[in-house]
Amino acid sequence: MALTWTRREPARPPAGALTGRPAGDALDQLMTQVAGGDERAFAELYRRVAPAVFGLVGKVVRNPALSEEVTQEVFVELWRDASRFDPNRGTARSWIMTCAHRRAVDRVRSAERAARRDDLAGRRGQVRPYDEVADQVETGLEHEHVRRSLDALTELQREAVVLAYYGGHTHREIAELLEVPVGTVKTRLRDGLIRLRDHLGVEA
Amino acid sequence: MSASPHDLTGAYALDALPETERATFERHLDTCPACAGEVRGLQAAAARLGAADTAPPPAALWDRIRAEVATTPQLPAPADRADRRAGRSGALAGLRGGRRFPPLLAAAAALLLAAVSVAALGLGLTGRSGRPARTTDLVAAVLAAPDARRVAARPGGSGQAAVVVSRERGRAVFVAGGLPPAPAARTYQLWVLGGSGPRPAGLVEVGPGGRVTRLLDGPVTGTERVAMTVERAGGAARPTTEPVVVVDLA
Repeated sequence: MALTWTRREPARPPAGALTGRPAGDALDQLMTQVAGGDERAFAELYRRVAPAVFGLVGKVVRNPALSEEVTQEVFVELWRDASRFDPNRGTARSWIMTCAHRRAVDRVRSAERAARRDDLAGRRGQVRPYDEVADQVETGLEHEHVRRSLDALTELQREAVVLAYYGGHTHREIAELLEVPVGTVKTRLRDGLIRLRDHLGVEA
Repeated sequence: MSASPHDLTGAYALDALPETERATFERHLDTCPACAGEVRGLQAAAARLGAADTAPPPAALWDRIRAEVATTPQLPAPADRADRRAGRSGALAGLRGGRRFPPLLAAAAALLLAAVSVAALGLGLTGRSGRPARTTDLVAAVLAAPDARRVAARPGGSGQAAVVVSRERGRAVFVAGGLPPAPAARTYQLWVLGGSGPRPAGLVEVGPGGRVTRLLDGPVTGTERVAMTVERAGGAARPTTEPVVVVDLA
């Protein structure tokens, strides 16, 4: 798409130069530039992460119009709050996806709170298996890696994590859906995610 | 029931906590580096779940985002970076509930107030030699007025902005911090919204650090609203876009 915004030239030092992180952290650098009001960097950031953000938001809110709305909110928030990103405390990708997920979940909960609560009893025992979730998406190395990592979880861990992350459910809803105590859900979410983290080799 | 909040790192990283529990846990995170560190790692893992599946957004979405961003000021960098936990979007979430006024602007306004107060004392309000009052003197007069009130932009507005108004002087000064430059071929324009509709109150020059100090053109009674819009360079006779900042003086 044509980029019609002004280019603002005053070059800032790349983020890596200041933080000592490897130069490969292109997204981190972009975020830092965005924090300085660089609209061109923002356009590039959008080009790189919008498919992931839109994909995730779509999975959580499951409504195309709403997905666009939430994705727009996410990017406006990224622009506005870019200065809060600190490359020393995590990657830009993690920060962005965390923000996108939070927004999507909040939207689902506020808009559909009542409907979902009514619906919950009816859906008990009809949990969407994670395979179904996974099959909806295109394949790719990252996707395969994540899928294999999910396979490494126990069934309960996996169901709890998937219901929380893709389903946007609270721990209490998950407990109800899986018919296990809330305390168990909390524990499974934690140890499931820890196993996932270790399997994915994530660096915080 | 659960004695230890440490169990909640996973549920928190997956956004599986209801709002009140989330807030409670975020307070815990402020005092528990172990949990904060674990949360960062778990959020990074969750982010991998999220980033694994992509979907191309419709092209029109970018146009809408670009248009909104063009009129959305950015937050200034936090004064104390060490105070923050990366990955936690509490900083983001906190904005929804009522914007904290950034310390930068408060500090800038205080400095400015001090500087112009001195100027006002030295020069007298109309200028020592009887010259017509200069703008800086009028700014000083407003800011130094005993009845000066500072009214912050409404929470939910998109700027770190405020208006200082003195009914006694019948004038008002718009101040802002961290305001991005107006888009190309555009300018920020101020309006006074009174009973008889919007009245142009001047174009805004954005200074270093996005700082603005602008005397509003014309008198105010202190009951109006002040708005700032983005207009074509040179300004408009009437506002043509949604305000990026609204300050209710009443």
